[in-house]
Amino acid sequence: MELFHDYIRDGKIRLREKFKEPTTVQDPCNVVRSGGLADKNRRLAEFLSEDFRPMKYQGNYNFCCGGGGGAMPMGGEMRKYRLRCGKIKAEQIRDTGAKIVFVPCHNCIDQLRDLSKEYDLGIRAIHFKEAITELMEIPQEMIPEED
Amino acid sequence: MAEDVNSREIYEFLKTRIGARFRTWLQICSHCGLCANTCHYYIANGNEPGMIPSYKVRHLLEILKRKGRVDRKYLETVYHTVYHECNMCRRCTLYCPFGIDIALMISLLRSMLFSQGIAPEGLVKAIENYKKFGNQMAVTEEDWVDTIEWCEEEMAEELLGLKIPIDKKGARIMYTVNAREPMFYPQDIMEVAKIFHVAGEDWTVPRKEGWDDTNLAMFCGDLKTARLIVENTFKRAEELEVEKIAITE
Repeated sequence: MELFHDYIRDGKIRLREKFKEPTTVQDPCNVVRSGGLADKNRRLAEFLSEDFRPMKYQGNYNFCCGGGGGAMPMGGEMRKYRLRCGKIKAEQIRDTGAKIVFVPCHNCIDQLRDLSKEYDLGIRAIHFKEAITELMEIPQEMIPEED
Repeated sequence: MAEDVNSREIYEFLKTRIGARFRTWLQICSHCGLCANTCHYYIANGNEPGMIPSYKVRHLLEILKRKGRVDRKYLETVYHTVYHECNMCRRCTLYCPFGIDIALMISLLRSMLFSQGIAPEGLVKAIENYKKFGNQMAVTEEDWVDTIEWCEEEMAEELLGLKIPIDKKGARIMYTVNAREPMFYPQDIMEVAKIFHVAGEDWTVPRKEGWDDTNLAMFCGDLKTARLIVENTFKRAEELEVEKIAITE
């Protein structure tokens, strides 16, 4: 995520366009609170959006999605607990009105997709990778010629 | 779960690991309750007092007080608290006036349970895979390399000159993934290859174990395996003489 942020900041990756729908970004505990990447996480989300809407408590003080600490890979045993405690995250997202949620964590993204179903959020939860490949400009010399 | 409980072992395990930090935390927590409202479990469960973070670590003090003399049923209560009521997210620590690291104490309790053979099945399965295959999803080296080569072929049709270099010595970045990617989400690998290619990055992925950057052993307190996983990654980075290791997140 930090690399992607730097690529766009330094112009190594250029964007054709930005997302027009409202967006927000999840702060994964290990990347943000413990990893120290709160600012870059938010800035990268802003780079990619025309209408970025921060969650309440965006950054280091954000809530866990409920899928952390091994909860996702614990499988069925943990399901009802994580869906219940994820209510807080679901409400946070709903309050922003975002349609796209950037999620730089495999755990969080699986949890957010489950939460979207459980709490009927109607969001698209995507990794930054997916967002960037969708929006970036491809240099002419890399585009294959059509037969 | 293990059938019996070894009290002496439990006590010894905790005693040797409770350093000054843990002792201070246990002594200075005044149960002021400021951490209550910071916890998503507490709020989502209708402000349930049993879910207040400082209350969750009561087990640590209790077991020490009883010198490890607890029964299996008690350990099951501990299991429920440390796995079903905490994500070790560390949000409560930010709001604690003393900065008490609740998550670290939860982690210690998980380690203690693991030493007694008590751990979630899902995580235990992953640990076996890490030990045998070097990754949580039991992907063999052959399958890993096949997947990378297939991703490269697919993407090279979209972007001229795209490569996913395997074991390239002296690359700037060694890229590691979540083992779920080769299993379920190969598009993640393809997307990152595209971004690296357009950005002109000098990168590589290791062929041998060390490419999985998840560490589920850490979550259930199996520090020996947790260490092995990290060591694999660093070993590869040293062999390949890369400048940096990047992870998929």
